[in-house]
Amino acid sequence: MRWLRRLWHRSLTERRLDSELQFHLEQQIADYVASGLPPCEARRRASLEFGGLERFKEECRETHWENHVEILARDFRVALRGLARDRRFAFIAIFALALGIGASTAIFSVVDNALLEPFPYKDSRHLVTIRLHDQDQADRWRGAFLFAEIQDIRKQNHVFDGMVANLEDDIVYSAGDGNLQLGGNFVSSGTFEFFGVAPFLGRSLAAADYQPGAPPVFVLRHATWVGKFNSDPSLIGKTFMLNGVSRTLVGIAAPRFAWGGADLRMPRGPDEPKVLREGDFARHWGVVAHLKPGVTAHEASADLNVIAQGLSRVYAKEYPKHFAMEVLSFGSAVLSPRFRNSLYVFLAAVGLLLLIGCGNVANLLLARAAARKKEFAVRAALGASRFRLVRQLLAESFLLAISGAMLGIFFAWAGVKTLAAVIPDFTIASETVIEMNGAVLLFALVVGVSTVFLFGLVPALQASRCDLHDSLRDTGKGVGRTVGRSGLRNAVIVLEVALSLTLLFTAGRFMRSFVALQEVPLGLRIDHVLTARMPLPAARYKTAAQLTSFFRPLLARLKSVPGIAFAAETSTLPPYGGIRSEVEVPGKAHTEKWDTLFQLCSEDYFSVLRIQFLDGRSFTEAEVNDVRKVAVINQTFRRRYFGDENPIGRRIQLKELKEFSDPLNDTWFEVIGVVADVRNQGLQEPLWPEAWIPYTVTGSFMRGILVRTTNEPKSMIKAVGKEIWATDPSVAMAQPETLEYFLNLFTFAQPRFGLWLVTIFAAIGLLLVTIGVYSVIAYTTSRRTHEIGIRIALGAARADVLNMVLRKGLQLVLAGIAIGLAVSFALSRLIISQLWGVSATTVSPSSRWPSCSLPLV
Amino acid sequence: MPQEKVEFLKGTLDMLILKVVAAGPIHGYAISQRIQQISKDFFQVPQGSLYPALHRLEEQDWLEAQWKDTSTGREAKFYTLTRKGRKQLETEVLNWERLSDAVALILRTAE
Repeated sequence: MRWLRRLWHRSLTERRLDSELQFHLEQQIADYVASGLPPCEARRRASLEFGGLERFKEECRETHWENHVEILARDFRVALRGLARDRRFAFIAIFALALGIGASTAIFSVVDNALLEPFPYKDSRHLVTIRLHDQDQADRWRGAFLFAEIQDIRKQNHVFDGMVANLEDDIVYSAGDGNLQLGGNFVSSGTFEFFGVAPFLGRSLAAADYQPGAPPVFVLRHATWVGKFNSDPSLIGKTFMLNGVSRTLVGIAAPRFAWGGADLRMPRGPDEPKVLREGDFARHWGVVAHLKPGVTAHEASADLNVIAQGLSRVYAKEYPKHFAMEVLSFGSAVLSPRFRNSLYVFLAAVGLLLLIGCGNVANLLLARAAARKKEFAVRAALGASRFRLVRQLLAESFLLAISGAMLGIFFAWAGVKTLAAVIPDFTIASETVIEMNGAVLLFALVVGVSTVFLFGLVPALQASRCDLHDSLRDTGKGVGRTVGRSGLRNAVIVLEVALSLTLLFTAGRFMRSFVALQEVPLGLRIDHVLTARMPLPAARYKTAAQLTSFFRPLLARLKSVPGIAFAAETSTLPPYGGIRSEVEVPGKAHTEKWDTLFQLCSEDYFSVLRIQFLDGRSFTEAEVNDVRKVAVINQTFRRRYFGDENPIGRRIQLKELKEFSDPLNDTWFEVIGVVADVRNQGLQEPLWPEAWIPYTVTGSFMRGILVRTTNEPKSMIKAVGKEIWATDPSVAMAQPETLEYFLNLFTFAQPRFGLWLVTIFAAIGLLLVTIGVYSVIAYTTSRRTHEIGIRIALGAARADVLNMVLRKGLQLVLAGIAIGLAVSFALSRLIISQLWGVSATTVSPSSRWPSCSLPLV
Repeated sequence: MPQEKVEFLKGTLDMLILKVVAAGPIHGYAISQRIQQISKDFFQVPQGSLYPALHRLEEQDWLEAQWKDTSTGREAKFYTLTRKGRKQLETEVLNWERLSDAVALILRTAE
């Protein structure tokens, strides 16, 4: 236990070391005196020979480990004192480090969660969906299939080892005191096993539930159970009236199971001949398949194309002339490719931020190292070994790194929480859970911390490399001597300025595209408009007459409500799409297919949206109620299909109406009016020709209402709901919201999110770079105080000195700007090509209005 | 004093110290004097090497130290060899002999 004793009796050890060396010295002196030298000469000579007593003492001390503990503690005390003395430096370094680590971890985590591993499903990387493209029209495709079609694909394919299907349906839950509108999903047998998710509570749907005559059951989505049913576990086993059918709740699905986005899932075998709704679109089922091991999406597409040739003969109506099957990964089908691109831009931006942060820390450490050169020279002269100097600096770096890392972890945590909260709806897959990624955090920490250690050790290297005398003499008075040594610092500054400029440039592009987006003329007024989808019970509302029997009294009632100026029926949510149809105009020969969008609406549609008439008039209430075949067209329609001719009184044919489940025999309409162009494909896609016809012509298609209010539209939701209830108690509004809300959600939320993110990055980057430039200029200037003094004494004017100092800084900044501009211009093509992509059109509004804009061939 | 400074081969100083201490308790100054004397002033042990070496050897338990009065009545640190130190000395001497034999052989025969 000698070492323990020694640790306690350190002062004793120290005294003994002293007296041992002292003894040696005295013996030497005594010997010299004995050999005849005078005592003072003997002492001088002995001392000279002995050399730096302190240094040997230090070396002797280092052979004892217990001193290391002591030295370590002292190193940390000194480091802490040093940092406290240089508080500004410490704060900036820690902050820069933390910001770099935090921001990059947060964004990397989001990208990882949203892009790389978004799904909690079994082998989700090999899950795919199928699309059928019309090769004559690039943007026409369908991702849903007839049930029989799916059965055929399942039997004939060689590439999938599992396939499930789902069918969306609106569900009205009648709960004694009112109706609750829910999103339903019929799922094919084996769905839960296919996805490999265990139920949260109760059980999943089992094979027995699909047997003929099995009692009707359903499984509730976890989020719905929490949000709408107060997480009440006693609900399991209870029965619910859903669309008039009494169903038993058998389980709550796993929290992250969200395929199809439905609130509840019901068994419904694809083999059942008749599906719930007789609508045109509800018959199409969504599909997810699992690729066999080793099969690529490309191979699967090829296989399906062969099968599709056969299918196109069986289901001729469902297939266009030229088509191609595409198998694409589940994730890419769910996540908008444009948002994916934005995320990659953010990723790059945040990488730059981490670089700038580390560059800043490096620079601060380099500047500090240069300023402390003398200090370290003195230490070395007083006997500090290189090892001691390194250790001293390591202690400092360690303190910086630990503080930076802790703050960085906090920033990362806060960043992930914030990002997860502000990512707009429908942007990422609903299965995705945004959480901090440990591996990524570790990576950022390693990068940041190693920067600190790497550059923190520079003073030790300098001290051991350069000549002591030089360092001691050179106390910052050298003129222009620091140029070579400051090369690294300057390079870092130039790089930082360039990086920051690139970030600013990117932010600028985002801002411009966002402003441009907001300035797109809509052609309609979105303020004070309330809209709601109106799912009607399919059994009672099939024909045009049945549909009219609901909407006619409802619209009349709504118009009499105080606070409602106009009320109209609509078939889609403006300004997002309409029903596509082939169109014919008599007397106009054309070789290519003519297309238009059309809407089924009531007479007040144009008043609600304040759409401007250029020619003619809107239909009257009488025309709507009498099912007159009249149509209003837009300016693009007129220009494209009528040219300079006057369209009023001319006839057009909307062929698609023949294909509806409640079809029209005569699909010819007389044009009675022309309106100014109104956006009908979102804000960024080109305008389509569009026509409006009375809603009373068919009972098919999804319907909704548009209401112009005189005051705050949301305050009218209750009043509108009351009138609907009074018209038919079995109907409920689905998602009543303002038009402004939808426009914001579908079109502006993602670009705004992107803009905010990039702007924050750019601001942080600029801040860091400003600090970086300042610290270097301040440092170099302080080193030249002496020189400046001499210059002034020799007659230099104030302006000359300023000029001298500023020129240096300006040179660095200009160099950085030049590089930054070059990089920005190089990037601009890339960024522009994806910028419009921070857009909404790909956030398919079909998720809100499922049937209306489901792109069908 | 020798004309040129002769650098100790790495580890040689440790061996010489062990050898000198093997003769009986001895303090640092005397060790340096003994080495200088025996080598006929060929080796002059700088204090900067001697004391760190002594402390290192002590730390490795090859030497142990005691504070005793010298003949002049002053207290000094006397080093003695431990059993471990004696073993170490034997190994080092053996190694040294093999090394110098080998070197001598090369010098003789390589002409």
